[in-house]
Amino acid sequence: MNMHEVASKTDRGVGDVLIDSSAVRYSSGGKLVDALPPTTVRLSPGSFTAVIGPSGCGKSTLLNAIAGFVPLSDGVIIVDGKHVTKPSPDVGVVFQQYALFPWFTAAGNVEFALRRFGMPAQERHRAVLSALEEVGLADRAKSYPAQLSGGMRQRVALARTLAGRPKVLLMDEPFGALDAQTRLAMQELLLRIWEARRTTVFFITHDVDEALVLSDQVKVMSAAPGRFIDSIDVTSPRPRSVEQIDDIYVANRRRILRLLRHSDQTETVEAASNPAHSRH
Amino acid sequence: MKQSAWYSPPFVVSLAVLLGVWWLATTAGAVNTVLFPSPQAVWGAAVELYRDGDLVSDLLVSLRRAAVGFVVGSVLGVGIGLLTARLAVFGQALHPILNILRPIPAIALAPVAIVWFGIGEPSKYFVIAYTVFLGVWLNTDHGAAHVAQTYIRASRSLGAGTWREFFEVILPAAAPHIVTGIRLGAALAFLSLVAAELTGASAGIGYRIQEARQFIRTDRMFVGLIELGLLGAMLDLCFLQLSRRLVHWEST
Repeated sequence: MNMHEVASKTDRGVGDVLIDSSAVRYSSGGKLVDALPPTTVRLSPGSFTAVIGPSGCGKSTLLNAIAGFVPLSDGVIIVDGKHVTKPSPDVGVVFQQYALFPWFTAAGNVEFALRRFGMPAQERHRAVLSALEEVGLADRAKSYPAQLSGGMRQRVALARTLAGRPKVLLMDEPFGALDAQTRLAMQELLLRIWEARRTTVFFITHDVDEALVLSDQVKVMSAAPGRFIDSIDVTSPRPRSVEQIDDIYVANRRRILRLLRHSDQTETVEAASNPAHSRH
Repeated sequence: MKQSAWYSPPFVVSLAVLLGVWWLATTAGAVNTVLFPSPQAVWGAAVELYRDGDLVSDLLVSLRRAAVGFVVGSVLGVGIGLLTARLAVFGQALHPILNILRPIPAIALAPVAIVWFGIGEPSKYFVIAYTVFLGVWLNTDHGAAHVAQTYIRASRSLGAGTWREFFEVILPAAAPHIVTGIRLGAALAFLSLVAAELTGASAGIGYRIQEARQFIRTDRMFVGLIELGLLGAMLDLCFLQLSRRLVHWEST
């Protein structure tokens, strides 16, 4: 049985994420910090949403909340009708620093995700190889993460997360640590895999081009406390390629860059005016 | 991490230089050989001890004590370390106690152990196991408590349950610290062995050193010291090789 077919069949049409007035607040040194102000967003099934915004604006906090890693202090997050209270294999995560288990081989890492299905060992073994094949690393199955390059590690991490057949895929600057060329190759790979699977994706990035190449929709966040200040629909047709640049692309790019620059300025202005406020 | 093997040229050279300087200093009369015996005298004492049968029997007695104490201490150290690191109840209950016990040296414990367990073997096992336990516990606890958050998050979002998370994520993630603790434990077993044998023992390397002191037989004392040094170094080398194989992903 071909695992990809099974995966695409079961994944299609689900992965509905509802983020309703969700806020994350925690106390640090006796002070309450608003890591995420009340936020409402919906990720429709099979959509690819990119989130871009300045460092520390709360986009990673939002991702961690959807993943069930950090508890909400307000609001709810609902994935396919279920409240998110803890991590679940329905919501897969690809981390920036790979988070591969260094004590397992590439195959062992992928197998870790497959173990929850309780399939026979032989079938599992085949599924491991086909998952690695999908990211072009079938020949490195027996390599340990330390023996792989950064790009290869992230490909194994992607294969591992996808092997668990998540309905929603969360990616926190997954290609941020890679060099420019490897990053382009990873974007191509992700486009190819995603266009075949159509899992709901929530993708955090600092890279405007990356956001525009990959996503259906780019959401721009302001500086902390981060709010969504704009949402840009990327209508460029699929299948896409990382080399494809059209007029829509250029216009969108200008719009996002302006928003980000503006958002940085408000941050600076606020910081500069704070001492004056405190004198009153 | 590069380490010269025991047969490597630098090792042989440094040993030869040490022996040479030692031999020169003692034969040239630079030091009082009653206090600091010559290498030949130490060799002679070793042969003498061997002929008496004491060398081998002391070695076996001491190794047995160190081994029993080491195994008991390590097993308890790893087990309790994992509990105190991963279960809040155990951590909160045991951390204060263990932190007070930690600074108490084995040598201070030996007299108490004799009162508790008599002058037989159990008091030696206790002193050694206790010392090994604290070293292994500290490292295991630290390692298992500081597992990178992303590993645990990755494990949970990949659908692993509590047991799989423990055995396949926390244990291997803490393994480098646990192995370091066990290696330290082996060294501690030898340190506390002597403490345990200095009082209330009738055999063993530590006892033989103590006995030689009464007759001012520094040559015999040196035999004991060299034995301890060689044994400790050899054991450490074994554990180093073992740990490299066990936590191979750490050294690459």
